[in-house]
Amino acid sequence: MKEKRRFLLLLGLVFAHLLLISIQVPKGGEPTYLERAVFTLFTPVEHGVVSFFQGLQDFWRNYFYLRDVQRQNQSLREEAFLLRQENQALKNLLLKFQGGREIQDLLSTVSRSILVASVIGIDPGQVYKTIQLNKGTAAGVRKDMVVLDRKGHLVGRVVEPISSKESRVQLISDEDSGVGVVTERFRVVGILQGDAAGKCWLKYIVKTNKEISVDEELLTSGLDGVYPSGLPVGRIVSIAEDNDLFKKIIVQPYFDLSDLEQVAVFTADLRELT
Amino acid sequence: MKNIIEGAVGVVLALVLHTVLGKISVTLLILFNAFSWVVLYFALSRHEVFGAIMGTVCGLLQDSLSLGVFGVGGLTKTLLGFSAGYISRKINVTPLNRTFVFALVMAAAELFLWKTLVLFLFGERWNAAGGLIFVQPLMTALSVTIVFQVRRKAEAGRA
Repeated sequence: MKEKRRFLLLLGLVFAHLLLISIQVPKGGEPTYLERAVFTLFTPVEHGVVSFFQGLQDFWRNYFYLRDVQRQNQSLREEAFLLRQENQALKNLLLKFQGGREIQDLLSTVSRSILVASVIGIDPGQVYKTIQLNKGTAAGVRKDMVVLDRKGHLVGRVVEPISSKESRVQLISDEDSGVGVVTERFRVVGILQGDAAGKCWLKYIVKTNKEISVDEELLTSGLDGVYPSGLPVGRIVSIAEDNDLFKKIIVQPYFDLSDLEQVAVFTADLRELT
Repeated sequence: MKNIIEGAVGVVLALVLHTVLGKISVTLLILFNAFSWVVLYFALSRHEVFGAIMGTVCGLLQDSLSLGVFGVGGLTKTLLGFSAGYISRKINVTPLNRTFVFALVMAAAELFLWKTLVLFLFGERWNAAGGLIFVQPLMTALSVTIVFQVRRKAEAGRA
């Protein structure tokens, strides 16, 4: 009898899971209330763990491990100096093409829309699929906001669920992700799809196309309706052909998951600015 | 009450371990599935009912941190927890080598079931992460065996 009750419990749990899976089909990938609840309940633990270790690391670096700090300081000063010069030169160049007032407004909107967030977690199932950030709706994070790494390379976009202090980002290396891209030189248009193993496929480039080559840079095209145009995405690492109509093109994304401690979330719609 | 507290601590520990591993290296996240460790550990020590419940909680938690169909991880981990607990009650898996082999078989079966469900039901590719994913059951078995044996030694010492 006791054994029967145990198996009934298993059947109940399996049925509940199957029900949970099946109710998501008509919702088309929208997270269920239960998923939102579990995400909201447990992501603060990740947030706390990362904050704790970050605190320990900062304490160690700020008060004890000061080796090379002077050299790093000097190198950062030089870098900041060069970036300021570059920034000023680009601003001056932009002013030649657009009205002064307009460009000032644009630049101030861009700088106000950058939200710096820390990565607090990586997808436990497939590591190149999603990451969790320590910023949520309270900081103005919303669905489909663009996420870049510290060098300005495309990382992905914010997807649901988003809690008040945490959010989830779909990486461009996820095989369910699609990014409209163009090649830098000949503006060949294609769709970038993740291979779930850290690289991406450039799809729908016909075999007859001769304007595409290895080592070429890919930029966002802006045609997908999510990402603004001109963001650096990655570089073509190999091109192969088989019996298929399209080329098999592998792209190495610029962002490095193992070096992704902080990211920039664009809280304004960059498509309206570019 | 004690069981619920221990279970909750186990879930939080799995999440903390998962976060720490992710901060150290992405590769470690492929090699170690902290949620499977917790489910197997509780299934071996508390048997099928507790194993199934821990499987549900840990699996759904894993699903909530992942993009995809919510419930697939929960389903496979529930089956893992129940079957590991049920079999460990029927056969003696307490000796070191038996614990290891048993945990290895269960972890491999869970990985196979999860990947197969994802492949057949949702059409996603079998991503082996350069073969590293196949090492995951081995690492799970090794870790669970060590923790389980330490617990046994501690209990024997107390007795």
